[in-house]
Amino acid sequence: MRHLNRRHFLGAGLLLGASTLLGKETPAKPIAIPQTYTPPVIAFPEKKPMVTISDRPPLLKSAKGREIFTQAITPNDEFFVRWHLPDIPTHIDLNEFRLEIKGSVNTPLSLSVDDLKSKFEPAEITAVLQCGGNSRKYYAVTGQATHGVQWDHGAMGCAVWKGVRLKDILNRAGVKESATWVGLNGLEKPAMDETPDFFREMEIHEALEDQIIVAYAMNGEDLPYLNGFPIRLVIPGHFSDSWVKMLSEIMVMDTYRKSFFMDVAYTVPDNDCECVVSGSDFEYKRKPIASMKVKSVIGYPSSDTVIKKGSKVKISGVAFDQGKGIKEVMISLDGGKSWSAAKLGQDYGKFAFRPWSFEWDTKAKGNFTIMARAINRIGNIQPLADEIGWNAGGYQYNAVDSVNVKIV
Amino acid sequence: MTKLLLLSVFLAATVFAQVDKPIEMPYVDYPMVKGDHDEVAQQYCLICHSWGYILNQGEKSRPYWTGTVQKMVNEFKAPIGKEDQQTIINYLVKHYGYEVKSGQSGH
Repeated sequence: MRHLNRRHFLGAGLLLGASTLLGKETPAKPIAIPQTYTPPVIAFPEKKPMVTISDRPPLLKSAKGREIFTQAITPNDEFFVRWHLPDIPTHIDLNEFRLEIKGSVNTPLSLSVDDLKSKFEPAEITAVLQCGGNSRKYYAVTGQATHGVQWDHGAMGCAVWKGVRLKDILNRAGVKESATWVGLNGLEKPAMDETPDFFREMEIHEALEDQIIVAYAMNGEDLPYLNGFPIRLVIPGHFSDSWVKMLSEIMVMDTYRKSFFMDVAYTVPDNDCECVVSGSDFEYKRKPIASMKVKSVIGYPSSDTVIKKGSKVKISGVAFDQGKGIKEVMISLDGGKSWSAAKLGQDYGKFAFRPWSFEWDTKAKGNFTIMARAINRIGNIQPLADEIGWNAGGYQYNAVDSVNVKIV
Repeated sequence: MTKLLLLSVFLAATVFAQVDKPIEMPYVDYPMVKGDHDEVAQQYCLICHSWGYILNQGEKSRPYWTGTVQKMVNEFKAPIGKEDQQTIINYLVKHYGYEVKSGQSGH
C-alpha cells in the first residue's frame, strides 16, 4: 500500500487532538473566542472545497458553516474529516485489503470487503458522528479556553451507514470465554515507529451490542476515502474517537492494553460532572469519553445575520443525544428569558440528527439572541453556556447554542 | 434493539466508486512567522503535523506551550533535544502566545 510521503520527513508521528495532560489555561486578558487565524478553503479528493484546518493529517470542516446543519443528513462530500496520524495510505487495493479478526477467537478471520458484503447479513443505521472536541471553542465564551484545535460546531455530521454488525463478525470468529476487551486498529500510521498507534479498545459486552456496525457504505455510496474507505467502525451514540477509519484489525483480548489514545487522550475527569471542580485537570483520575450528551445546534440563521423587519424567519437546526431520542427542542428569542417549543421534523431514528424548525414573525427592530435547547426522552437537558462543566481537553461541549441577529 | 436497525432485505449491488489510482492530497503552505529560530520548529513540529495545528489553537500561555512540547516528546516520542525544546517553546510563546503575568497561574 502506498503511503503519504510527499514531504519526506524523517519520521516522528505525533498527533494531537488530545491534550489532557495540562491544567487549566488562565488567559492573560479576558478572551472572546481564541481564534484569529482563518484557514484556507480547499478541495480534497471526493470533497467539495472545505475549510482546511490542517492538511496533514487532514482536518476539514464544511465551508458552509452552520448552514450544513439545516439538513438531517450530511452529504458525503461535505462531511467533516479528522485523522490523528500523518501517514495515511493513498491507495487501497480491494483485492488485497483484508479485515483481520484475531486474538482470543476460535477461528481467526481474514475478510475482504466482498466477504463482508456477500457473507453477512447487511445492517443499516442512521447515526451522528461527532468528534469529542466538537464545539470546544465555545468553552472560552463563558469560561476558559481549552486545549487543542478550536473547533466550532463543524466537527460533526449525520449519515446513513450500511455494513455488517460487529457482533456477527465476532460470533463468526467465535469469541473465547476468556475475552474481555476488543482492540481496534486502522491503517493510519505515525511517521515514526515509537509514536503510539491510534489504537482503541472497547469492552467485549459493548462490542457485541446490536447497533455497532462495520460500515462499507455511507449515504448509499462507498465511504469517501477521507472518511475511512473502505470500512470504518460505527458506534451509534458514541463520540467518534473509536469509530476507527480504514479499519484493518480487530483484536480480541483477554486483558486491557494500556495506550496513549485510551488512557491519556480523549479523557475527562472521572467524577459525576466529568469536569474540573478546582485545580488542574491532570490531577484527576481519568475516564475515556464515550456516550454523547444531548445537544442542539442552530443551522439558520448564523450570527450577525441582518433581517428585514416583517420577514418570516424559519429558524432551523438539528438535535441529537446518546440514543435515547429527542423529546423537545425549545427556542428563546430573548436571550433565555422565555422559551417556546420548536417543531420537530422527520425522525430518522434515535441515533440520528432530529431536524427542528421554528417560525419567527419578526415584528420589532433591534438585536436579538436566538437560543436553542434540547431535552431528550430521559430528561437530559442541555446546560446553559455559563453552567457547563469545564475540562481542559474541551471535550463533550453541549451547552445551549445561541446566535445574535439584527432586525432592521 | 433490532428496531434500531433497518435491515436490508436484499443484497444491494453496491456501485464501486472505486479509487483506482492513489489519491492526491493537496498541500497547504501554512504561514509561519520568520525569525527566532522558526527553522527549529519547522524541523521538528512538521514531521508529524501541519502548522495548522498551531494556528488553529489560538494564543496560548507559556505553561501551555511548554506542556504541549513536553507531550510531543514524552507521549508521541518526538526526537527533540532539551535545548531545541526550549527554542521551540520560546518561539511559540513569542509568536503564538503570551507570558503569564505575575500573580496568575498557568494552571
